[in-house]
Amino acid sequence: MMDNNSAQRLPGPQAGAVKFTMLLAGVVLLLMMVFGFVMRAAQGNLIDLDPAMFYQLLTAHGAGMVGTAGLTGAAILWYFMGRYVPLARGVFWAFLGLFLLGVVLILGAIFIGGYGGAWTFLFPLPANSGGVWGTDAAAAFLLGYVAIGVAFLLLYLEVGRKLIACYGGIGGALAWPLVMGKGTAEDAPPPAVVAAMATTIFNTIGTVVGAAVLASSLVNLYFPEFKVDALLAKNMIYFFGHVFINASIYMAVIAVYEIIPEYTGTPWKTSRVFAVAWSLVLLFVMAVYPHHLLQDTVMPAWSLAMGQIVSYLSGIPLLAVTAFSLIVYLRKANAMRWDLASALLVLGVAGWSVGSVPAIIDGMISVNKVMHNTQWVPGHFHIYLILGEVAMAFGFMMWLIGKPEHKAVGGFNWAAFSAYVLGGTGFTLMFLVSGALSVPRRWAVHAPEWVLQSQIATGFALLVIVGAAMFVLRYLLGLKHSAGR
Amino acid sequence: MAIQSNVLLISLVLMAVVAGFFISAVRASRKPDTSAPREVVRTRFIYALLTVGVIVTAVSLRPWPHAISAANGPSATVNVTGAMWYWEIDRETVPLGVPVIFNARTTDVTHGFGVMDSQDRLLFQTQAMPGYVNQVEHVFRQPGVYRVVCMEYCGVAHHAMTNEFTVAAAN
Repeated sequence: MMDNNSAQRLPGPQAGAVKFTMLLAGVVLLLMMVFGFVMRAAQGNLIDLDPAMFYQLLTAHGAGMVGTAGLTGAAILWYFMGRYVPLARGVFWAFLGLFLLGVVLILGAIFIGGYGGAWTFLFPLPANSGGVWGTDAAAAFLLGYVAIGVAFLLLYLEVGRKLIACYGGIGGALAWPLVMGKGTAEDAPPPAVVAAMATTIFNTIGTVVGAAVLASSLVNLYFPEFKVDALLAKNMIYFFGHVFINASIYMAVIAVYEIIPEYTGTPWKTSRVFAVAWSLVLLFVMAVYPHHLLQDTVMPAWSLAMGQIVSYLSGIPLLAVTAFSLIVYLRKANAMRWDLASALLVLGVAGWSVGSVPAIIDGMISVNKVMHNTQWVPGHFHIYLILGEVAMAFGFMMWLIGKPEHKAVGGFNWAAFSAYVLGGTGFTLMFLVSGALSVPRRWAVHAPEWVLQSQIATGFALLVIVGAAMFVLRYLLGLKHSAGR
Repeated sequence: MAIQSNVLLISLVLMAVVAGFFISAVRASRKPDTSAPREVVRTRFIYALLTVGVIVTAVSLRPWPHAISAANGPSATVNVTGAMWYWEIDRETVPLGVPVIFNARTTDVTHGFGVMDSQDRLLFQTQAMPGYVNQVEHVFRQPGVYRVVCMEYCGVAHHAMTNEFTVAAAN
């Protein structure tokens, strides 16, 4: 059993593969941001876009962003778990290969087959397009998801079995002895391991549930007499979708636990409250999903009440443990070293925390009744993606690249950071304002009175793209100096 | 003020508070800070969050937001059916000032039955899902024309799936 944070670090995590993955992810993120920009420009009447193409872009943007968030989270998880347990190198390449196969299938389904059923593939929409796309396009899209799901299951199988073997079972890797008051903080696994074990468990369960509903939907495509209960399918889809996107953030925060101590000079330790928080996260992430079904009044009332209550409770480990601890570490630091990496990682936790506020408020049934599926929803999740998960991913990328002068805060880097933060803040606030004005989400054509917000948002989206493009450029230029990582 | 305006205001204030804690910590990060919060502050913070949570939960779930109370008094029932890409409504006029129960159905994919007032402010919504009837109740306080929109993505003409009905005092 490994019992200590730094002393047991293994040499040679799969840095090359991870760096390549992050480069791919950076480029795909940029492309997906451009899709988002085009959609907001179309809603703002700045360009003319056919609704069918709008909904194809919507589908690509949703699937692409969720998938890329998952990819960056998985790369971060893999990289840092490589410090603690010996991972089989071939598994990561198989993961990446299957992931890319999934991407090819999804892009083919959308841009060749015309599929535009949104990333949520809400049953029975894939099978019932109203003549816009065919069965094969829907099948290619769903099979793309299956390939990506298998990729993640493979990765989690390897990480999970190694953590279980090295830390004395699931309970050991989750620091349960510390939770029960039986162990000491010194003997507990490092925070990254606790986070990795919890994420491995809940995202494996989420992916398996996703695979089941994907398989059912695929059979239904070719054998329509095979009926799927729409409410059951919806429960499974939102369970899978919610768990997957949250797992992306919970994997990315491993970068914060591992990297920020290099800047503050204080190790991030697994305390009892930290261990308890992660065990609760494991439960909450899976129990909260009915907050996506608050307007399905045929759902059992207890499940909707649970959705609201757990939605609120989920904020406590985030705000009182991760955010609180980061604030304490920053305040206690004698001379915090700021560069593009540390700034983006701290931004990531701040954005995630700030974004939890409108999310939790929308998780109240009475609020949800007038906010659900308005632009309030993309408002809150774009906060904890643009200014949260994606900021953490960019922070990890900046940390990966070599010389300090490449990531110093100033000049080019400061311009990139400022554009990204300002653009991200303005862009997401416009979504929230539009949501409060009852503008529905996922509408290709907007009423004249909604056009101004879309136009302003388009400008902010451009700023985000400029900032992100500068990050990717900085990463690309810095890669050749990063051999030491 | 509409509920949406209050929600926006409360959210922006709380978001600014959370952001403020981070900005303050970043500013304090370059020099030793003796005022760094201790574990006891974290414990108090958790208890405060739990207390607020219990109060908000109790206030916001009682009465149950999806309660159908109309069975106890005068009411009206409206059947709405969504289909790609239109809404069928079984009456053109609904009564003012009494509980109106909407039964939402679909003939094909999942749609979102949403009702907007004359200022395009969303008043309520429920999902229309294959094989199920979702019920939602609302009391209209203003006469006039109300717009029905689709609030769940349902394909290429999702945004154009609208209809309307009139609210008028019952004779």
